[in-house]
Amino acid sequence: MIQYIIRRLLLAIPTFFGATVVVFFIVQFAPGGPYEQQLNALRKGQGSEGGGSALGTEMMSIPPSQLEALQRYHQVNEPIWKRYLMWLGMFPRPVNDYLALIDTPQNVGQNHRIIVKKDVNGQFSVHEAENDNGPLSGWYVDPSKKENSVWVYQRGVSGIFTLDFGRSERYRKPVTELIAERLPVSMQFGLISFVITYVVCFYLGTQKALRHGSRFDVISSSMVFIAFSIPGWALGAVLLVLLGGGSALAWFPTGGFQSTDYEAITAWEKIGDRAWYFVLPTIAYTLGGFASITLLMKNSLLDTLGQDFVRTAYAKGLRENRVVWMHAMRNSVIPLVASIGGIIGIFLAGNYLVEYAFNIDGIGRLSFEAIGSRDQSVFFAFAVISIIITLVGSIISDFMLALVDPRIRFS
Amino acid sequence: MTKASPVKTSQSINQRRWKKFKGIRRGYYSMLLLLGAYALSFFLPLMVNNKALIVSYNGEWSSPATRDFFASLPLVGSLAPSSFDPAEKYGEVGVQAEANYRVLQAKWDAAGSENYVIMPMYPFGPNEDVTVGGNEKFVGPFEADGYGLPRPFGTDDVGRDVLSRMAYGFQVSMSFALLIAILEYLIGVPIGAMMGYFGGYVDLTMQRVMEIWTALPFLFLIIIIVSFVEPTFSLLVFLLVIFSWLGIATQMRAQFYRERSRDYVAAAVSIGVPTRSIIVKHILPNTLVPIITFFPFALVGGISALVSLDFLGFGMPPPTPSWGQMIGVGLSNITRYWLVAVPFGAMFITLTLVVFIGEGIREAFDPKVFSRLR
Repeated sequence: MIQYIIRRLLLAIPTFFGATVVVFFIVQFAPGGPYEQQLNALRKGQGSEGGGSALGTEMMSIPPSQLEALQRYHQVNEPIWKRYLMWLGMFPRPVNDYLALIDTPQNVGQNHRIIVKKDVNGQFSVHEAENDNGPLSGWYVDPSKKENSVWVYQRGVSGIFTLDFGRSERYRKPVTELIAERLPVSMQFGLISFVITYVVCFYLGTQKALRHGSRFDVISSSMVFIAFSIPGWALGAVLLVLLGGGSALAWFPTGGFQSTDYEAITAWEKIGDRAWYFVLPTIAYTLGGFASITLLMKNSLLDTLGQDFVRTAYAKGLRENRVVWMHAMRNSVIPLVASIGGIIGIFLAGNYLVEYAFNIDGIGRLSFEAIGSRDQSVFFAFAVISIIITLVGSIISDFMLALVDPRIRFS
Repeated sequence: MTKASPVKTSQSINQRRWKKFKGIRRGYYSMLLLLGAYALSFFLPLMVNNKALIVSYNGEWSSPATRDFFASLPLVGSLAPSSFDPAEKYGEVGVQAEANYRVLQAKWDAAGSENYVIMPMYPFGPNEDVTVGGNEKFVGPFEADGYGLPRPFGTDDVGRDVLSRMAYGFQVSMSFALLIAILEYLIGVPIGAMMGYFGGYVDLTMQRVMEIWTALPFLFLIIIIVSFVEPTFSLLVFLLVIFSWLGIATQMRAQFYRERSRDYVAAAVSIGVPTRSIIVKHILPNTLVPIITFFPFALVGGISALVSLDFLGFGMPPPTPSWGQMIGVGLSNITRYWLVAVPFGAMFITLTLVVFIGEGIREAFDPKVFSRLR
């Protein structure tokens, strides 16, 4: 079992790198990234407010030192593979980058001053400004275009692996913080639809298998497939129009995920409020997911019911209920258990279409809007998180399968 | 498929399957209906258009609608304003804008002049908005617009006719989905076949590639790409195809893997049949079942992907009529129920038909028999 798990985990590593490389390249080719935005902002002399087109605005020349600082901050001059590794957090990148005049004390952080000295061979070394005890380790020096000054920096590793997804240009916050703020809402939806999906599919699949070929079976098959093919958000739009106070009934709110007075109400009312807001989006979230799992359950149970040990159980004179629930069911839920991992994908990644349609402030909508406002770090982070979740989901699936079905881990 | 033989007793398996499919009425009629509607939709410029079918002015004939029809044929760039006749041409002195044929018709009819206009069956185009005289925003369904002309499904937020856009949207969606499904097959089937047949390193490497591909949030990446590249019909098709060939490839791989160990393949190998003809002539016909049963799913996938992209505003360039864009407009004008109901209804019916066809095909092609003891 342990061997199987290790093998499975090792296989996920190249997949992770492959997928992140694809995403990295796509995003790198996207124009209007943070570097260009800040550059434009500097050109227009508005600090770092917004990018936008430079048409008709007076171009201001950027001080070379500022341009250099920006280029260094975004590592524009580094080769792309190095940037990829830095972004992943596998290659050290400059942190605490300062432009320092040679032989002049430079403030770095609180109550800390360093001084760059140039020796006779033209080699630079970094020293404490006060109490100099020889060259400091951990500080590096890069040449600068500016006269008589150099860049001094420390190296540090920070990137995806250290959970550093960069900063959002639009919200002026670390992306991790932004995502953490919005995660609970997306997770609540994910959790609710996860539970509903499995309960409904288990029941429906079992009934369909037991009543295979009946009118109920045929009709429910069609319905489940139609629900599968219709995009959830589109159904959500119709529900909003019909029940969400659009044109007909106003049973449910028109969007969002909580009332404006949410903070003021009691705990019980909070639950009620949430539920009231969640009904329509949850329907939109879940409906499409019924088809595959219901059919999985049905086919698996049907297969088992045709096997010899079930015949034996019947021949012993056991009651139908006992045969189905005690004998057949244990073998039939294997594929259902195995599919649990896949659903974890929906769970955290957030469905931006539904969130967008219902105006829910989840991570999906956040990332989608980030594409529109060219807030690169945010949608970048979302893409990477989706990849990680998909991978983790498939690993969990395989574990579960190996756990419940001994044939797999020994083959 | 084998040649049809006149002797009734020797029906090929595919003939039997086809016969069985025809016997499944719901699937069969759904297919007839969908194919019929799609075939008819190519003639939309002649049936649903604001441009006249025939204009006779001072003894001269012209047919802007027919020109539209020809311009729309190669699918791509279908909605370029191809037939532009300034109103000046028809006697409206000094008017450089496009002729409003409905107005011309009313005017000439009233005057009893010799000139006449014959309009298409439904005289409203998908893209004529408030800038065209007499179009109103948010005309309700079955209400009349400024000219007293009935608008069965109303107009949208910029005065475009909803029925007309819905009809053209069907054309766009179906063409898009069909094209994607076909291209997906052209890539996925050979790749899956190679993986299944050769196994070994080919299979392993490709499996890694496919794993990477499935781990990518493809719709999201497409949105990112489209956000900085001007989307066109062909670009969207291309992007969706490179992300969606995996489904059929996985199916084909499994099939080929299974068929490869059959005796007939061993026999073919041992008598020295070249690999290519083993794959194409011997195994491929035996994998017809997944190829055909998977097709409706590919269609559904294509339609939903396009509708979703359009809804988010990263699909077809405006003002292409598309269901997703229409639902998006409806969602921001939620009190005008027809703006959501009409495109959703159209999509619902289309997808339902595809689902019924799929069920029929599965039943005819893949009769999984479960034997139960009780």
